[in-house]
Amino acid sequence: MIKRAGFYALLAVVMLYCAGPLAWQLITSIKPSGEIAVLPPLVSTNPTAAHYLSVFHDYSFARYILNSLIVAGSTTILSLLVGSICSFGLAKLRVPFASLVLAFILSVSMFPPIATVSPLYIIIRTLGLRDTLAALVMTHTVFSLPLTVWVLTNFFRTVPDDIYHAARIDGCRPFQVYWKIMLPLSLPAVYTTAILVFIFSWNEFLFALTFTSSSARTVPVAIALFPGIHEMPWGEIAAASVIVTLPIILLVLFFQRKIVEGLTSGAVKG
Amino acid sequence: MPYLALLAVSVLIVMPNCLPEKGDSASRVRIVFKHGKISGDPEDFRLLLRHFERRNPGISVRDETLPASTDEQHQFYVTNLEGGRADFDVFSMDVIWVPEFSRAGWLMDVSDILPQEERLDFFPGPIRAISFDNRIFAIPWYIDAGLMFYRKDMLAKYGYSPPEKWADLVVISRAVMSRAPGLYGFIWQGKQYEGLVCNALEFIWSNNGDIIDGDRLVINSRENIYALRFMRDLIYRYRVSPSLVTTATEEPCRHIFGKGKAVFMRNWPYAWNLFNAAGSPVKGKVGVTVLPSFKIGGSCSTLGGWQLGINRNTKHPGEARKLIKFLTSPESQKALSLAAGYYPVRKSLYRDRDLLTKQPFLPGLFRVFMKARPRPVTPYYMMISQVLQPEFSAAITGIRSPEAALTSAQKQIEHILEADHER
Amino acid sequence: MKDREGGIRYVAPALIVLTLVTVYPVLYVFYLSLYRKLLIFNISKFISLDNYLFLIRDERFWNAFRNTVYFTGLSVALELLLGLGIAVLLNRSFRLKGASRAIVLIPWAIPTVVSARMWELMFNTDYGVVNYLLDVSINWLGSPSWAIHAAIFVDVWKTTPFVVILLTAGFQVIPRELYHAARIDGAGPWQVFRSVTLPLLLPVILVVLLFRTLDAFRVFDAVYVLTGGGPANSTETMSIYAYKVLFQTLQFGYGSALSLVVFFCTGCISIFYIRLMTGRRT
Repeated sequence: MIKRAGFYALLAVVMLYCAGPLAWQLITSIKPSGEIAVLPPLVSTNPTAAHYLSVFHDYSFARYILNSLIVAGSTTILSLLVGSICSFGLAKLRVPFASLVLAFILSVSMFPPIATVSPLYIIIRTLGLRDTLAALVMTHTVFSLPLTVWVLTNFFRTVPDDIYHAARIDGCRPFQVYWKIMLPLSLPAVYTTAILVFIFSWNEFLFALTFTSSSARTVPVAIALFPGIHEMPWGEIAAASVIVTLPIILLVLFFQRKIVEGLTSGAVKG
Repeated sequence: MPYLALLAVSVLIVMPNCLPEKGDSASRVRIVFKHGKISGDPEDFRLLLRHFERRNPGISVRDETLPASTDEQHQFYVTNLEGGRADFDVFSMDVIWVPEFSRAGWLMDVSDILPQEERLDFFPGPIRAISFDNRIFAIPWYIDAGLMFYRKDMLAKYGYSPPEKWADLVVISRAVMSRAPGLYGFIWQGKQYEGLVCNALEFIWSNNGDIIDGDRLVINSRENIYALRFMRDLIYRYRVSPSLVTTATEEPCRHIFGKGKAVFMRNWPYAWNLFNAAGSPVKGKVGVTVLPSFKIGGSCSTLGGWQLGINRNTKHPGEARKLIKFLTSPESQKALSLAAGYYPVRKSLYRDRDLLTKQPFLPGLFRVFMKARPRPVTPYYMMISQVLQPEFSAAITGIRSPEAALTSAQKQIEHILEADHER
Repeated sequence: MKDREGGIRYVAPALIVLTLVTVYPVLYVFYLSLYRKLLIFNISKFISLDNYLFLIRDERFWNAFRNTVYFTGLSVALELLLGLGIAVLLNRSFRLKGASRAIVLIPWAIPTVVSARMWELMFNTDYGVVNYLLDVSINWLGSPSWAIHAAIFVDVWKTTPFVVILLTAGFQVIPRELYHAARIDGAGPWQVFRSVTLPLLLPVILVVLLFRTLDAFRVFDAVYVLTGGGPANSTETMSIYAYKVLFQTLQFGYGSALSLVVFFCTGCISIFYIRLMTGRRT
């Protein structure tokens, strides 16, 4: 009995630890400005929506959200396209030095982004792509490829070779096998990968900070560079944080099983 | 099918850059004015801009605010101007960026907006800071310099007059603190950021030290070591400054002093209006004076203030010039001063009747501004500051001794300046 | 029957794009590091290895290096312990298991920058929740001794879910019979853990260690937003130092040298772990 209570108590602590800060942001975002800098009242007695309105009205946040959506969405589509084609080749077709290729692709995920940021900055500047969404989509897609290829290759490998051969015998060209059979079969894995790539691109900061300034700014950069005099507008920052995090949280809550599968695929043999 | 997806994606990516700006009208030229957050009511500033638009019917001005941290603004301008962006025409610059931006070729020459005779109406410090290669690349907009604020009611109560030497400040602080416990003695900005360099230079200069003298690096000197050690002693030995100064910027200091919790404060003049606003706990109790020094007569203030420049890549140079001329005209300077408490950079305004009524200590400020010294006027100043900030911070928090900090700073600055020697 | 067509055409797009955007820049970074390059003043002079010679004597670099190593070591150790604890806790069937797992994922899903801002408010000296709940008045982000630990705490908070998930998956793989066998032999729970669970969990733990060590070593987002590298550079990691040199002072030559050193270090770490993992298999 005690063990049971103890377990649930511990569980509650862990849940508080994980979700507490977000809850605090929520509470802060509806506190009137004057009450934020004073602590004994933890929760406000006259909540206000002023910060949320201010975020959109004074800080043109809608534009940043749109930018982030476009970048993350485009990255996901491109990454899935290029990545799944590559995975198909690696899993089902003959590729010389296949394991080396896979190792190379995976090793890219170990590159520290800071090592590539300066030359990429120069290249993007030369191409005139500074402060464009295209520059971000390009870099995000490439850096998400290892993830995509890893998850999808593992999954494609579990699809029996016979299906491939049967389709070929039926007269399909390899690309048709990929497009009409493999992909539909792998929809769960594709969904998982899509979610992981979307979250990665939505949250990406370093490249977004370096390559954009005002028109292509994405949400993480906007939150980091929130304008305030010497003081921070904590109410608006909290509201912006809630706005930005809510879609991701919803994604996570609904698809947590898939996300877990994606993250652990290949990490655990069995 | 995949081609369709690729097409859709490309359209999506290109689209935002083609979206028309709101309120574009074919007949009016729109210029963009970028600046940091302006204190006071933003409406007052917008009124000023509307005034300009009425006087110049073909021009509309869109003003955009940047993150207020000076470093972040600098980074924004550097990365954008370096990339040749033309999405802003006029922008306001911290006094320390002008040499760097001039040398990089990002600013339009505006020497003609400020003919020689008119320059005499400006304070000498800013003029020195904006001149490069015998030409002018920015027009001073408003001036700022470090001030000593003090509680004149407390000093009067205990029979003291404002200190002229740092040693006196320590004595007075301790005396008042012992009789009114719970008070801080002297608060200043010691966080690792540009403000720390401003504060530190005031101590250093008042001890006859300096960073660069002519083209020699003189940072590792006995005077500088003494000054840095004194800053640290203020916190840990004399205990007149609380340890929170090592993370304090202007606003936290202003809040503390404004609530009546400190006897002395070093800050910029903007705080004055806030202290004398209705409802301020220290209304009528605050005095200002020049900063103390180590030797009599050596008081120095670090020059601050912002200047207006034109983006070299602008598509509307004529209109941009008009805006700058307007914003730096005596009328605009006076309006800004009355509304936002920014101090005019034109000396003649310090005899203006209306301003004197609103700010009776203007003559005192005049004295301070005449003696305001710019930080090292070199295109490499920003890089030098990036070296100074952590070293000064390490010295005042005790992580490193002043000697070690200055030696380390010297090595790093020499490395930076090597680039210049090779030209 | 292994009749497979050539797959090069399929693999090529990914490979080309990857090479262009990652390998080529790394080579370019090496090239840049041999120059004194101040972009904004159009100064570009070949100085061969001078940047590296300065780097070796650069006190600020070694400070960043020490900070990074300390941050990585403490971070990874805490994440592993905490993650293991939570994984063990969740490793049983109970109602609300699905909801619990979802909630555990929350810190991982929040953008790093947002979580840094969140904690920045909570660590505020005057009106932060942390000081309020602990009833102290510690200057978390402003004191050189506390700041790096605050940063480590934020990083641990954010990445523990990842560890929990991987370890939980690892648990599933352990056959139940081994537990039964151990218990029949009279082993207590701690012994079961030590002799059955841990050894079988080791491969997953190594994978976790690999990813987390690399990520902690490369850390940028959270620390940049939380403290900016201060106070007095006590939280300045190598990535942040390189970034500041590159984009605040625009010294592209020296900044590239610093970036390359970070790359070299992460390369060594990867090789070390991979050797460890493949070595065990033989």
